[in-house]
Amino acid sequence: MYSLRDLQARFSRALLHNEPGAIADAIEPDGLDPAVRLGVYRTTVMLSLTDTLAASFPVICRLVDPRFFAFAADAFIRQAPPRAACLDRYGDAFPAFLDAFPACAEYPYLGDVARLEWALHRAARAPYLQPLAPTAMAAFAPDQTADMQIALDPAVAYIESAWPVAEIWTANQPEVLDPPPVDLAAGGVRLEVYRPDAVAEFRPLSQATFAFRRQVAAGAGLEAAVDAVLAAAPEFDLTQAFADLFADRLVVGCRLTASG
Amino acid sequence: MTICGNIGVTPDRAVGIGLRGPHLREIMLRRPAVGWLEVHPENYFANAPALAALQDLRRDYPLSLHGVGLSLGSAEGISETHLQALGDLIAAVEPALLSEHLSFSVAGEVYHNDLLPLPYTEEALLLVADNIAWAQDALRRRILIENPSVYLRFRHSPIPEPEFLAELCRRTGCGILCDVNNAYVCAENFGLDAGAWLAALPVQAVGEIHLAGHHRGAREGRPLLVDDHGTLVAPPVWSLYEAAIARFGVIPALIEWDRNLPPLDTLLGEAGAARERLVEAVGSDHVFAA
Repeated sequence: MYSLRDLQARFSRALLHNEPGAIADAIEPDGLDPAVRLGVYRTTVMLSLTDTLAASFPVICRLVDPRFFAFAADAFIRQAPPRAACLDRYGDAFPAFLDAFPACAEYPYLGDVARLEWALHRAARAPYLQPLAPTAMAAFAPDQTADMQIALDPAVAYIESAWPVAEIWTANQPEVLDPPPVDLAAGGVRLEVYRPDAVAEFRPLSQATFAFRRQVAAGAGLEAAVDAVLAAAPEFDLTQAFADLFADRLVVGCRLTASG
Repeated sequence: MTICGNIGVTPDRAVGIGLRGPHLREIMLRRPAVGWLEVHPENYFANAPALAALQDLRRDYPLSLHGVGLSLGSAEGISETHLQALGDLIAAVEPALLSEHLSFSVAGEVYHNDLLPLPYTEEALLLVADNIAWAQDALRRRILIENPSVYLRFRHSPIPEPEFLAELCRRTGCGILCDVNNAYVCAENFGLDAGAWLAALPVQAVGEIHLAGHHRGAREGRPLLVDDHGTLVAPPVWSLYEAAIARFGVIPALIEWDRNLPPLDTLLGEAGAARERLVEAVGSDHVFAA
């Protein structure tokens, strides 16, 4: 007879690692092999989590076909099972898993497509925060600008890829019955994911704007963000970049950094 | 926020339906005549648009939060983070009812997305009672505990389920969510008498009833019913519901449907069928003494 904690650990092993032997001796057969009874639970756990992932990564599911997706999801679930019951948050590690999954080695763009899907998934569910008007800046003196830290809308994400992931994503939407071929050599993209209205979207950014906004999103003070950009684009116009963030309704908070 | 009346005052208002994502838009537009709505709170922890919709519906319907992830049966205790999120949601939508399951989902900090069975032992009783008391204190709410569908029994599980539930109620002040479909599924799977199970529940503790469909399977010549919430309520489950009405009176009852979600009207039809049985049993002007 196992302690309850031990019994539950064994039950977990039986389900996640398909080892019914870990718990079989504690189960009353009631006329059936305990493995068959455990199988009812294992099926529910694995199928429901696979469905959860498939709903969050529909483009990946279409690209690799649902059967391969289920195979990859099974490996992922065993390697990185959910740590919380809020399944809207389950799947953030799936892109990195695809990068490293040997069976996907021939499709090196899958991880980045999954990153884009996850960013859209998160953006669609992000809290609603009121964007600040540019007049919010009036509270700060002009010479304080460099020390300002800006909070961006929680829906926003920045995705950089060496692959044409925007094109791949668009070509694999449900309404596209006959996807056009995507030229994988077409080059990379820098995308901003955001939620202009009810629906999450993405758009390409220039290299300098992308670098600036990604630094801002990462919580860097404006001066640090600008430094990161100026190295690559000496002509970068901070005033304009700043105004654009407000015009795009992406700023939800601003304050002075601790050093400012 | 306007507060709607309580659940279960009359047969008209006693029957609710489970609200699932694909029906959300239609329910918002149509505002169908149904007594109340039940949702899984976990689906609103990290989904702002869904929460906004739920708060909107809350103006027209009483709500029930029916948890699937608190894992009250976990030997390692329950998650503070989960409890906090549930508390925030309770504050946001002021549900009329709050319920969870007599099962575990978390072991070794891994969340298995299913309601896994417990052995009904003294050790488990002590532990589950502790978890329920802790959750009720933190949430300042009474929790109704649902009997699960189970597909296996442990060799060492000496306490009968109704007794286990009754003892949890006695120790913690929690209530019982009596799922008559689950009771039927378990009875069929293990050759037990669902009517006797129902008759053994403490009447005053039962605060809600669940109705749902199941899948009737078989393995190696033995029936193995699975509670998939994917079909109409089966005739023997309706009979059990009638026995439940006779025993518990007019209390909130819910139509649950998860797999193969049908058109909303099918759910509303099932709710109507439940209402008819209530009216038949107690009359349409019955007022439940809350």
